[in-house]
Order: sequence, then structure tokens, then C-alpha cells
Amino acid sequence: MKIAVCIKRVPDMDVKFKIAASGTAVDETGLKFDMSDFDGYAAEAALQINEKLGGGEITAICLGPDTVGETLRKALSMGIDKAVQLKCDAVPFDGYAIAQALAAELKGGNYDLILFGRMSIDSSNQSVGPMVAELLGLPCVTAASRLDVSAKTSGTAQRELEGASETVSFPLPAVVSIDEGVARPRYPSLKGIMAAKKKPLEVKPAQLGAATVTVTRMELPPERNAGRIIGEGPDTVPELVRLLQTEAKVL
Amino acid sequence: MEQMTAGNFVFAAILLGAAGFFSYNAQRLARYLQFGKGAETSRVTEMPTRLRNLLVIGFAQSKILRDPLAGPLHAGVFWGFLVLTVGSIEILLQGVINGFSYDAFLPKPVFALYTLSQELFALLVLGAVSVLIWRRLVTKPKRLQGPGTHQAEAVFILSMIAGLMVTLLLMFGFASARQHGMEPGLHPVGGLIGRAFGGLSDGAQFAGFAINWWAHALLLLVFLNFLPYSKHLHVLTSLINTFFSNTSGPGTKGAMKPMDLEAEGVEIFGAKDIEQLSWKNLLDGYSCTECGRCTAACPANLTGKLLSPRKIVVDTRARLLEKAPLLVAREENAAPVAHAAHGDGDAHGHTATGEHVAVAAPDPAIEALLGKSLLDHYITEEELWACTSCRACVQECPVSIDQLEIINEMRRNLVLTESRFPEELLPAFEGMEQKGNPWSFAPGDRAAWAEGLEIPTMAELAASNDTPDILFWVGCMGSFDDRAKKVTVAFARILKAAGVKFAILGQEEACHGDPARRMGNEYLYQVLAKAAVETLNGYKVTTIVTHCPHCFHQIGKEFPQWGGTYEVIHHSEYLERLLREGRVPMDEGDGERLVVAYHDSCYLGRYNDVIDAPRETIRRALPIVDLVEPARTKDRGLCCGAGGGRMWMEEKAGKRINVERTEELLATGADTIAVACPFCMTMIADGVTAKGATADVLDLAELVAGRLAPEATASAS
Repeated sequence: MKIAVCIKRVPDMDVKFKIAASGTAVDETGLKFDMSDFDGYAAEAALQINEKLGGGEITAICLGPDTVGETLRKALSMGIDKAVQLKCDAVPFDGYAIAQALAAELKGGNYDLILFGRMSIDSSNQSVGPMVAELLGLPCVTAASRLDVSAKTSGTAQRELEGASETVSFPLPAVVSIDEGVARPRYPSLKGIMAAKKKPLEVKPAQLGAATVTVTRMELPPERNAGRIIGEGPDTVPELVRLLQTEAKVL
Repeated sequence: MEQMTAGNFVFAAILLGAAGFFSYNAQRLARYLQFGKGAETSRVTEMPTRLRNLLVIGFAQSKILRDPLAGPLHAGVFWGFLVLTVGSIEILLQGVINGFSYDAFLPKPVFALYTLSQELFALLVLGAVSVLIWRRLVTKPKRLQGPGTHQAEAVFILSMIAGLMVTLLLMFGFASARQHGMEPGLHPVGGLIGRAFGGLSDGAQFAGFAINWWAHALLLLVFLNFLPYSKHLHVLTSLINTFFSNTSGPGTKGAMKPMDLEAEGVEIFGAKDIEQLSWKNLLDGYSCTECGRCTAACPANLTGKLLSPRKIVVDTRARLLEKAPLLVAREENAAPVAHAAHGDGDAHGHTATGEHVAVAAPDPAIEALLGKSLLDHYITEEELWACTSCRACVQECPVSIDQLEIINEMRRNLVLTESRFPEELLPAFEGMEQKGNPWSFAPGDRAAWAEGLEIPTMAELAASNDTPDILFWVGCMGSFDDRAKKVTVAFARILKAAGVKFAILGQEEACHGDPARRMGNEYLYQVLAKAAVETLNGYKVTTIVTHCPHCFHQIGKEFPQWGGTYEVIHHSEYLERLLREGRVPMDEGDGERLVVAYHDSCYLGRYNDVIDAPRETIRRALPIVDLVEPARTKDRGLCCGAGGGRMWMEEKAGKRINVERTEELLATGADTIAVACPFCMTMIADGVTAKGATADVLDLAELVAGRLAPEATASAS
């Protein structure tokens, strides 16, 4: 099976972000970057499909400046066969601009399956996968929490809904975006890391579409007020109730 | 000397055959060691230390004697063996040269001493061996049982030694009865036995002597040639092993071997089979006689886990003896055959040089054996992950085997080559890699404990061209764990009260990777360790103090592998020093009379010999303390269960190690358990909770901080 996995390099989200001087982006100093979580699931799903079917080839594709090479190497160290960097100075916010660049790369690739993460954990747009499917004229399944591809012609996927799940089937080639639950991404072994150094990483200019949506302002959520201790013991209960009624207005 | 008799010729032929067979086996076993291609440093360095080990641990039996019963018995047999070997040579020469005796070469008093020594040691060995046989058959100590033991073989060997001694003593007896020019006073044993034969005719006495001589000499040769086929091979290799071992030095005790991760063409990282172990690991296999001292001290084994350090070593030997002969056969088959018959239907191959060689058709049974591996087919993952790296096994081994190194090399294989490890370890690896701590706490909160304490960071001092006397390395537990943070603050308060000029790295501190290394992830470890060395060297740090024994060991003993050389002091030693020098303003009263049991951290006690300083700190902090010791203590202290990455793994099988250890500590009647390690703190505190006990678990720093003079407390906070 020839599979493409489109991945994004995102900052570690578990930090206190600062806004950059431009006012439209986060300050990247001191941030640690890694493959977006859902893209990791997608990469693992691709590896497991080919391990089950035997043979095949998986290509990881990442758009961005040269720093994304590290993210692509990680994908290669997991066992993905080759990598393509679609080079641009900065990743645009507009998913459509990105989708056009990816579609241009994917078009001639004869892929049986194109996988995305359900969304990138930094911008959370959930848009690029479906847009690429539309640009390539392929069927699209979003947020698959299970994916079964056992023949070259079709596959089935399971999607989690509010309080239910549905199973869909689709012909190949197709675009599928992956939710968590598919499989935990494997931890690259040192053997994998060493092998990754020798795998091909091709760098091509990104044929970005024109950005139509741009960020005009970014701001941090307002700081929460500090908690207040009214006192201790049963005597303070009336005062607490009064404040919850008058100040917090929750009672 | 008389002419050679027919008997001499017969014996000479037997001796030659026995020597030839022995030499064949010795070469065979030596050749097998060469299949161990794992990285190894030179083992002929620091000769004075090696000779000291050989004399103290080897000849003086210092480690054997740690067992109060079996120790002296073994030492008796061993020393007897050494003394009697002199006599054995005389006996073997007698067989070839009729009438040979040292008498002809030695001055009379020396010869007299020699004959006396032979009689006395033969009796001593016989006595010791009898007790040992009785022990094997009747009392059956637990440590001699279990997987990887050969019971029948042990009894057979002991019986053979007993047989050797009986024949020797009977020989002395008959010789004495025949008054073979011997002075009766120098033959107390032989003389006594000889009296029983006094009534026999001269011919019968001679026959008795000859029969026992032959029986003894033949038994000796059989014994010698049985050794290479038995667990008793240790007779031949353990002194050599002790000499080449690094477990008691040379080098840094307990430091793991650095791996070359950039090496080209390496397919297998760590050890999957004997080829990836080093020749020394394989020699360890030869040297193990299955005494079980390691397994009896192993916290995992004691609490019902599958791991037995003895089995690790015995399995290594068993796999070597299974695989190496096949590898030898393959090498020999692959060697160019000069006159290989052509066209006879055999399979043929070519060497790299194009020579035509005969290749035997692969035998499926042999291929199946070669296809097995030490990992999985002998030693399972479950055994390897049960290890707490506490080093009790290494410490106890009387012949200086390094069981832990084999375990570590196999863990490396699991993680680096196979990416196979308990799933609980993944978050720990990812936390260390991405957040610089194994619990994924936000790195920005690393110095949150220090808020308001006015402790400068290295960066702040460097900005004003200042340097501290010491760098306080806080460690991940000390930085993030709520309980350990109290220890951190207590220690910082003491430092301030003592007027020590210190700084912390603050947010620049990150995990040094020791947990990753112990869990087999050498790659992640090296990334983290090298980064930490860069940070420390960047500030030209010279002295580091830490309250975590794992940080203490890693930075002090393993960072030199990456160019980081500092004086690293554990807070137990630093506190002891500050108190001894009177630098800490302490409350002048006697304080409470606490009953304190101190729990030794493995990485302090066994790894780094820090045993007295923590106890001395307690005594100085609490002048009227009643310091009690648990059953297993000091260099024999039982692990808390958190080492070797066990902190991050679930403990499903058997009894919990921390509960076992806590019970032992509580059994002392202590109202306070003192610890000197944040990992031990967690484990023992959990144990106390599990037991529903009320004992306080306190770090040394807290004991000291609790006794600071009131004005010092006021100014430091």
C-alpha cells in the first residue's frame, strides 16, 4: 500500500505561552516542538496497515521551514520510509493555502491512502485534510478512531459521535483524518533513529495557495482572579453563602 | 630413587591422557569466551587494586566470610585446597617417579611442617565438606534451591571431595602403620588412623596404601576433568574472575558502561544474545557456582518476583554452552578446505577471496538452536524489568560477578533495538525528553519552591560576575514532588542559616537522564546528560550538592564519561560536615528523645559507600536520639523498591518491596524513619500508610532543620 501521512510540527502545549512582538503569533523562544499528537496517531496507523499487509511504502510530508526536518526525522525513526519537506518561510494560518500546496505534492504520487491527524493541536482548524480531499477529488473520512484497510480497493473506519459511534466504508484511494484511539504511536528505537538518518528526505518548494484568511490579533485569556479565603469553621458559612449569592451570583 | 615400574608407566599414560583432556577443555572454554564481542574496557588497568581484590576477595575470602556458617566452611575447604594442592603435585609425581618425595629437596623442619599441614588440612576439609553435604541433604537452606541450581551435581562434587580426603587420610594411615621413615609426632592424624592397621601384615599394609594412593590419584584426575563440565568450574575461574572484575574497583563502582551510539553498521544495540555480551560477562557465567547469595539478597526475588540474579548468570552460561559449540562448528566448516572434493553432491560456497569451500547442508535442529537467543528464550522481559538496580547481588557475590551489567545490557536491547518496555515507561521517557523531568511537570514550575526564599540562580550570579561556593542541584523530585519540595526547602534553610553561599540553576536545571539510563534508554540518557554537562560546564561549576542520591551518583560518577567533572556531595555528607564544623546554629536543648531507624539508600550506601555520614548527621542533630538499625542495614540495606526505573513501573507480582522494607523498619520500634533520598521517601511513606502505622518519615534535612536555633529559623525564613 502506498500511503502518505501529512504531519505538522507544533509547539508543546503544556507551557505558558507569550505573544510575539507582532501581536499575531506566539513567541517561539524557549518552546519545544514535536509532531502534532493526532499526526502521530496517523503515522502509527499507516505503519500498522503496511505491517499487516506487508510491503508498501509510506511517505511523510510536512510543510514549513527547515526546522520541520527534525519532525520528519522523527516520523522516519518510527519506521516511515521517506520524507518530503514542502519548504516555506512560515506556515500560513489559512488551511486552504496549505491544502493547495499539499494537493500539488500528493497529486502525482499515486497514493492509495492519504492520512492526516484529525486536527493540529496548535491551530485546531480541522480543515486541511478535507480540503485536500476536495482538491484531489477523493472521498474523505474525518476523525476516524478505527481504521481497517485490508485490501487495496476499500476500507472501513469507525467514527465516534456524541454517545454513539458509526462505521463507514469507502473506496480507495481516499483521504482519512485520524482521531485518537487508533493506536498509540510507537516509541522510536535507537535502531529506528539510526536508520532514519539514512532515509531520503526530499526538500521541495511549497506551492502555497494565496492566503485569504489571516490572523489580525492574538491575545491571552484574562488572568483569573486569585481565590479568597473568607475564614475557617462553620461560622463563616453564612458569609460564604452571602458572597456566592451577591458577588459570584451562582446561587 | 628407584627404577620406573610398570605401574609408573601405566600412571604416566593416564596422567598424560588426563592432562591432555583437561587442556582440550580449557582451550575450548577459553575459545567460547571470544564469542562475547560486547564492548569492554581494558581489564589489566590499575593492577594494585586488582591484586588487592585477588588477595582480599579471592584468597582471603572476604566476601565468602560474610555468611557466618557457610563462609568459614567454604574458606576451610578453599584454603585446604590450596595447601593440599602442594601435596597433590607430590602424589602425581610419585606416580611417575617411583619413590618421589619432597623429603629429598626440603630441609627437614620444612618437610615436617609440610607433612603436618597435609594431615591437618585433609582432616579440616573432610570435616567442612561433611557439614556442607549434611547442609545440602538435611537442612537445605533456601538460597541453595530454586531455578538455575543443580542439586545432585553439588552433592556429587562434595562427595568427590570427601572421597579425596578419605583416601588421602587412609594413605597417611597406612604409611604411618608401615613406619615409612616417618616421625610419629608429626603425623598425629595418620598415626591415629595407622593404629587401626597395626595388626595387619606388611603386605596388607602395603596393599592398603597402594589402593588408597591409586584411588586418590585417579579421583583427583577425574575431579579435575569433571570441573569443566560442571558448575564447579568456579574452582578454575573464580580467582581469574575476581582479578578481572571491576565490581569492587578499579574504575567507578556502579557506573554503567557508556555506549557508542554513533558506531557504524551496528544492528543490535544492547545484548540480545551471548555475542553482544562481553567476554567478562561470559566469564562471570563460568565463575558462578550457584551459591545463591545474590538471589537471597535480591529485593525483587525476596518479594516474589520472577527475577533471580543467579538465574541470569546461570542462563548466560547455559546459552553460551549451547550456542558456542555450534558457532565453533560453523567457523570450522566455513574455513577453506584445501582439497575439497568437487562434484560430490555436497553444497558448496565461496569465501570472500573466492576459495571454494565445503558447506554442510544446514541442519534444521542446529539452525533452530542458533535462532534462539538468551533474551526471551532463557531470560524474559518480566525478569529484567523487575530489577531495582539496587546492587545487592553484585555486592554479595563472593567471586565478583556483575549480574547487574547483564541485566542492564539486556534492558538496553529491549529499549534501543526492540522498543519493547512496560507501557508505563513511555510517559516517563517522553516527559524526560520533552519536559526535562520524568513526570511531565511544567518545566516553568521547576523553581516554584524557591519563590520568596531569595535564592539566586546561576544565571543571576553570572550576570553580576559572581560565583557561589556550591551549586545546589535540586533534582526533579526535589523540584516538583510536593513531599520532596519540603526537603528541598528544609535543606535550603539550613544552607542559609549556615551562611553557605549557594545558587540553583532554576529553570536551567533539567533531568540528567539517569532514570532513562537505568531503564535501558541510553540514547535519551546521553542527550540529557550531555545537555546537563554543557549547562554545568558553561557556568564552570566546581562543587555540587544534592539531596537526591541518584543525582549524586549520576553527576558525580557518570558525568565524567561526558566531560563533566565536579566535586559532587550528597547532602547527608554536607550536613555532617556543616554540623561537625559547628557552622549550623542549632538549638542548644537536647530536644525530643526520638527512636530513629535510618533507611540506607542503595545509591548512597552500596553504590557510594556513604554509610556513616547520614547516621552521624542524625546523632549531631538529635543529641539524645536512640538510633536503631533494621535487620538488613548499611551495605546490606534492603532497597525501597524505586530504583532502576521501578519508580515508574507498576508492581503487580508478589509483595510490594516498599511494604517489605517498611515492615522491617517498623519492627525496630522506631517512631521516626529517617531517609536521605526522595525516592525512598515516597516508597517508605507509602509503606507506612499501607501498614496503617504512625511513624514519621523524615529526610535528614528535615531532622536538622527542625532543630535549627530559633533566631536562625527566623532569619532564614
